[in-house]
Amino acid sequence: MSNQANQTNQANQTIQPIYDPAVECATREEIRARQLILMQEQVAWAYERVPFYRQQFDALGLKPQDIRSHADIQRIPFTDKTALRDHYPYGLFAVPLTEIVRLHASTGTTGKPIVVGYTKEDIEQWRYCIMSMMQMAGVVPSDRVQMAFGYGMFTGGFGLHYGAEGLGCMMIPASAGNTERHIMMIEDYGTTVLVATPSYAMHICEVGEQLGFDWAKSQLRVGLFGGEPCPPKLKAAIEGRMHITCTDNYGLTEVMGPGVSGECLSSRDQQHIIEDHFYWEVIDPATQELLPEGSEGELVLTPLQKKGIPVLRYRTHDLTSITCEPCACGRTTARMAKVRSRTDDMLIIRGTNVFPSQVEDVLTGIPGASPHYRLVVDNEAGLDRLTLLLELEPQMFSDAFVEMDDFRHQVGDKLRNTLQLSVKVKLLEPNSIERTMGKSKHVEDLRG
Amino acid sequence: MGVSQISVFVENQTGRVSRLTGILEKAEISIRGFSLADTADFGIARFVLDRPEQALEALKEAGFLVKTTELLCIELPDKPGALDHVFSVVAEAGISVEYAYSLVSTYVALKVSDIRRAEEILAGQPVRLVEQDELGHVVDGT
Repeated sequence: MSNQANQTNQANQTIQPIYDPAVECATREEIRARQLILMQEQVAWAYERVPFYRQQFDALGLKPQDIRSHADIQRIPFTDKTALRDHYPYGLFAVPLTEIVRLHASTGTTGKPIVVGYTKEDIEQWRYCIMSMMQMAGVVPSDRVQMAFGYGMFTGGFGLHYGAEGLGCMMIPASAGNTERHIMMIEDYGTTVLVATPSYAMHICEVGEQLGFDWAKSQLRVGLFGGEPCPPKLKAAIEGRMHITCTDNYGLTEVMGPGVSGECLSSRDQQHIIEDHFYWEVIDPATQELLPEGSEGELVLTPLQKKGIPVLRYRTHDLTSITCEPCACGRTTARMAKVRSRTDDMLIIRGTNVFPSQVEDVLTGIPGASPHYRLVVDNEAGLDRLTLLLELEPQMFSDAFVEMDDFRHQVGDKLRNTLQLSVKVKLLEPNSIERTMGKSKHVEDLRG
Repeated sequence: MGVSQISVFVENQTGRVSRLTGILEKAEISIRGFSLADTADFGIARFVLDRPEQALEALKEAGFLVKTTELLCIELPDKPGALDHVFSVVAEAGISVEYAYSLVSTYVALKVSDIRRAEEILAGQPVRLVEQDELGHVVDGT
C-alpha cells in the first residue's frame, strides 16, 4: 500500500499530498472497524507474551477474546508510566532481545529512564507514521530536510530521520547544536524543511538575524516541530520572521515516539491521529470514565501494531479533546486539539521531560536543602530556561557569600546531573513560596 | 570582646532593604555601621548596631533570616596609613580577613579567622579595641 501511495503522491506534489488515502480518507465506520480488529490482535499479542498483562487480565478474569466490541476495550486496565518504570529495562518486551533492532529511552519520573525496544517491523511501522505525519505538514519527496534534533536515545532524531528518508527527501543529519553551522547549511544546501524543537528553531532564527542572514531569501519553507509544546505566540513569531510554515507534531516514546499525530495545513490548531496505528480514548482523569467526543480530558493511547513492546491503554497525562469531523484537507482521521496542559506537573524543556518528583529526589539528598521550591520555566532569546526557586533553610544562611554560593552550586550541579539540563538556582527567604492546601504549585510555566 | 554583627538574607527585589531598615527604625535601633553586598540574585546585609539582641528579635519576628557573628572592632587614629598598619599586623600573624567595613567615625569592623588572637596582637598597637557596650553611646565628635 505504501509504495502505491508514494507514487500517487509524487505525481501530485503540487496539491497537498496524503500519504495513504485508503487509510486516511476512509469512512469513520471503516476506520473504527479496522481499529477494533487491530486492537484484538494487539491485546492477544500482549496477553500471550507479556507476563505483566497476562497477570492483569487474569486478575480480572478477562481473556483477549472477551474484547468483542469497542465498548469492551474499556474493560482493559490502563497502563501508567510506573508500569514501564517498574519493569525497567526489558520487563514489558514481548519478543526476545534478538528480535529487537533498536532501543530508545525517555526520562522517567525518577532516576531510571523508560526504555522501549523496536523490532524490524516496528521500525517500518514507525516510519510509516512519520511519513504520514510529514506529508500532513506539506513535506514532499523533493524536500531537503535538515535535522536539528539531537540523535541519541531521544526518539525524535532517528524517528524523523528515517521517515524523511522513507519519503524520498534528502536528509541532512546536522543534529542539535552549532547554530551558526545550521544557518550555513540552510543557506548552502538549500534546506527546505527544518526539524527542531520550536524553541531551538527560534534560537536559529535569532542567531541568523544577528548574523545579518535574510530569512526571506532562504529556501526554507516548512518547520516540523516537536519534542515540546509549541505555544501559538512562538509559532506565529517564527512563521513571521523565518518566512516558513510551522507545524507541530505529537508523540511520546512510551507508545512509539513522534508520529502519533500531526498538524495538517487545513486545521492548524489540531493534529490528525494516525488511527491505523493508535487507538485513542479521552477519559476523565479523576473518574477514569470515557468522555464523549469533543470533551476535554486525558488522552489514552494504545499503539495498535507494535510488536516489541505493546502498551495497552497508556495514560499520557496530556489533556486534549478530539473531533471526528472530516477535515478540509480531505482526511477523515480524528483530530486532537494540541496539548497545552497536563494532568500532572511534567514540564518539557528543550525536548527533555522534567518531573517535579526528580527535583524533590535531588533536594532530599542535599543536607540543608529546603523542601519548599518552585520550578519556573521561561524563554530567553528563544531558548527555554529553567530556574529553581528554593527557600533557604535558617541553618544554611551564612554571613559569608562563599558558603552561600557553594550551596547554590551544589544544588545546581546535582540538578544538572539528574535532569540533564542546566538549572539556575535562586535562593529565597523562608516562607516566600506560597503554601497551598492540596496540590502545591511546584511549577510555573511562563513560556508564551 | 568584639562586637555583634547581625547579618540578614535579602532577596534581590525592590523595597526589601527598606523594609529591613524600617524595622530597625521602629525598634529605635541605631545603626553604627553596615555593609550591603549583592550577587545577581540575593544580598547579605550586615549591620553593627547599638542593641543587637533587640534587633535580632525584631527582625526574626518580621520573618527575616538572620544570623549573629562576632566581629573584631577597632578605632583607628585618623591619619594616613592607619588601616594599612592594622592589615599588615594581622596578616603577619597569619590571620585572614574574610571581610571588613567601616563604621561611624574611624571605627572599623573585621571578620577575621581568629578573633581572640587578633585582639591580642592588636592590643600592643596604636589602635583601640572597641566593645559592644561602647556602641550604645553616641560616638559623635570623636
